[in-house]
Amino acid sequence: MIHLVTGGSGSGKSAFAESCILDFGPAQRIYIATMYPFDEESHRKIARHREMRKSKAFDTIECFTGLEQVDIPGGANVLLECMSNLVANEMYQEAGAHEETVAAVMRGVRHVAESAGNLVIVSNEIFSDGVEYDAETRRYQEYLGKINCEIARVADRVSEVVYGIVVEAKEIG
Amino acid sequence: MKLFIGGACQGKRVYAETVTGITEWIDGNVCEYDEIYSCKAMTHFHMYVRRCMEEKKDVSELAEHIIERNPDVVLVANEIGYGVVPVEAFERNYRETFGRICTKLAAYSSEVHRVVCGLGTVIKHD
Repeated sequence: MIHLVTGGSGSGKSAFAESCILDFGPAQRIYIATMYPFDEESHRKIARHREMRKSKAFDTIECFTGLEQVDIPGGANVLLECMSNLVANEMYQEAGAHEETVAAVMRGVRHVAESAGNLVIVSNEIFSDGVEYDAETRRYQEYLGKINCEIARVADRVSEVVYGIVVEAKEIG
Repeated sequence: MKLFIGGACQGKRVYAETVTGITEWIDGNVCEYDEIYSCKAMTHFHMYVRRCMEEKKDVSELAEHIIERNPDVVLVANEIGYGVVPVEAFERNYRETFGRICTKLAAYSSEVHRVVCGLGTVIKHD
């Protein structure tokens, strides 16, 4: 199944997503890390996330762009974290898909979901703020918004995490 | 503890008054810092946290201290952190830190209400 986990900043999305993977049972756990370590703050964030999942037996695969090239062992339970970084990488990194970001990311999601037993995707709510952004940032919102909607459409479950409280948006079965 | 969250200008305080019966509030914009530990109820809790951070006070255990010293407090706060990640380091730190504080408080709270257009949804009730 595909499970989309979204929410605001600092809301406990990762902790919830990790617990969902553990609930799937003892099959191999893969963590697809999308944050590109470009400064001290991102190194700190990465270290914090590593610490959180240290005892949870994840194998980590780094994927900054090109999710459709990532091969997952059949039946593994996969946590992809997070979509907002992957989309920014695809848009702005040299190896990225640029204007083709939405299609490339969705191909990647389908590719991973095909071999994974379960796929949990962490995304981010970046759409509600009374700020006028520049055209480039608007485009980022547009791409990530489209991707969130497309994943939610094919997902079996969509959850919004609000300060650690899980608000279910979609549940099938 | 009870938490009322939602966007700005959504009628959170008025809604919280009808739910709790509380009419006396202190305002996180202007209160003394220690009032968080003695008040019955605070509005603009996000501004209280922001002021603490602007004055470089240590807020890493603020949630734990509130839980310990004022466990029945009612807090009204804007739900922030739903916009594009800000360029300024302070703003990024503020929204994430505020989220972590609220996550700890929500875990402890007996009730959490989310208010949109003056209407509340109970997202947690023990």
